[in-house]
Amino acid sequence: MTASTHHTLAAEDLTLAYDRDPIVRDLSVQVPTGKITCIVGANACGKSTLLRGLARLMKPSTGTVLLDGESIQTMSTRTVATRLGILPQGPIAPDGITVADLVAQGRSPHQQWLRRWSATDEQVIVDAMRATGTLELADRAVDQLSGGQRQRVWIAMTLAQGTDLMLLDEPTTFLDIAHQVEVLDLMVDLNRDQDRTVVMVLHDLNQAALYSDHLVAMRDGRIVASGAPAEVITEELVHEVFGLTCRVVLDEVTGSPHVFPMGRHHRRP
Amino acid sequence: MSDDAYLALLHGRRVRRLRTLGVSIALAVVAFAAFCWSIAVGDFPIPVLDVPGVLLGQGSPKDDFIVNELRLPRAVVALLVGAAFGISGAIFQALTRNPLASPDIIGITAGASATAVFGFIVLDLGGTSIALAAVLGGLTTSMLIYALAWRRGMSAYRLVLVGIGIAAMAMALTSYLLSRAELYEAREANLWLTGSLNGRGWEQAGPLLVAMAVLIPIAIALIPKLRTLQLSEDTARGLGVRVNLSRSGLILVAAALASVATATAGPVAFVAFVAGPIARRLVNGPLAVLPAALVGAALVLASDVVGRRLFEPTEIPVGIITALVGAPYLILLLARANRVGRGG
Repeated sequence: MTASTHHTLAAEDLTLAYDRDPIVRDLSVQVPTGKITCIVGANACGKSTLLRGLARLMKPSTGTVLLDGESIQTMSTRTVATRLGILPQGPIAPDGITVADLVAQGRSPHQQWLRRWSATDEQVIVDAMRATGTLELADRAVDQLSGGQRQRVWIAMTLAQGTDLMLLDEPTTFLDIAHQVEVLDLMVDLNRDQDRTVVMVLHDLNQAALYSDHLVAMRDGRIVASGAPAEVITEELVHEVFGLTCRVVLDEVTGSPHVFPMGRHHRRP
Repeated sequence: MSDDAYLALLHGRRVRRLRTLGVSIALAVVAFAAFCWSIAVGDFPIPVLDVPGVLLGQGSPKDDFIVNELRLPRAVVALLVGAAFGISGAIFQALTRNPLASPDIIGITAGASATAVFGFIVLDLGGTSIALAAVLGGLTTSMLIYALAWRRGMSAYRLVLVGIGIAAMAMALTSYLLSRAELYEAREANLWLTGSLNGRGWEQAGPLLVAMAVLIPIAIALIPKLRTLQLSEDTARGLGVRVNLSRSGLILVAAALASVATATAGPVAFVAFVAGPIARRLVNGPLAVLPAALVGAALVLASDVVGRRLFEPTEIPVGIITALVGAPYLILLLARANRVGRGG
């Protein structure tokens, strides 16, 4: 199930606001195609809002989001949904829905009045469930699964949408460390094996450094730095973005930078 | 290996579809049995098993007159009113993910009732005009609730709270109007307010049939959107649903169904509230709009027969019987919600 065509995503001078308070200000970004991009930043820095804006879940106050070089606002919701998949925060599994039926919802952008359900749809669902390791859960009720399993089911649904652009808002929240790594490994599989472009908002700076090709650091609705993790993550930047004093060490095994926070009690005199 | 998984998945999904279909057929049989029973019962009893034949025009002229002229319209009204309340409740409950958010609890039937009583007592309207007033009242109330529950998007929780407030206001207005009315008018209005099918003929059944022929296809067409909307607003939008358009459409069609039903038979209590959860439990799935229609129809038909038979020859309005069934369910639901920390 390799995505054949590559869709591109970018933002130009984007301002996003709830009511009148701008959360993201005059921001421009180009999502590298075929890579994993992570957006990091302190709470309320606008990273989730940026992701929602990129996925057309909210309307820009000014500026544009460009999907394949075309303003996303001028496209139909359905067209966007066939090129770009998003797993937002807090999706809700209705009581009693089974895994297979939930994943099947991912095909809904491809359903129309006369063109209903096909063998291709079934095959895409099976592939998505196999890739996420949820196939053996097919007939289970989603509300009876563990947090990690449930998250993989939601990712399978987004995968079944069949878009090569995948946006995920904090896909590791509420998961224990092993399940976090499991989900992140899955995203790397999808990126490498199926050539999908992945954009994730992540909370954990070290995981972001480890799992991304491209890192975007935000503060107060603006991009402070972006680039390869090893270039972006420095002690100065972490201080600027999070207001945190830390030590950054290059990990010998993974080759990626690792942040050691230094609280008030851990600093040398 | 690959094919096995594929076939297993197909099989699982087919089993669930067949279950929904089987449950729907069983419910349709129950509803039809209640329909025939409702027609069989009365001053001139007709054997239940003869009813289908008479309906097809194979009875004696006397039976034909009793069944097709006198009793059929009432049974048709009961069937359609029950179906309308069932669909309406199932849509509202799915849209808000809250079993409390049915049109009889969030004030839509109360709004329809208030305008109908206003039309009857203050404006001295008759038959069709009252029905139209009720439909307009129900639709206006639904839009008012939707608008008041709106803040940066719709909050399901706020919709229920605002709705309960609006319901209380509409009922207060109704009580005020009743207190100012002539005794005869107040009695008439009160009977209608409890939900009654007494004396319903083709002049009520006809317009109701037309309204349902328009509204039910719209509701069916919107079911796939409802299925996706259940996954949260952002998820639905990400899956290509025009959220505001689909949701407004669903609310309007559900409110219209509840209003039309109220206009015809009064706010028959708790049918919209219980039909959805019962249907969902039977099909064992997250959404069951059409099975809810059948549960609602069977419930209203059976309650009407029970109400007519219980203290013969005195007739108990159908709304009292449905309330006797529905109220314990509400208490059960609230008790369970308190224990488990969530509703149905």
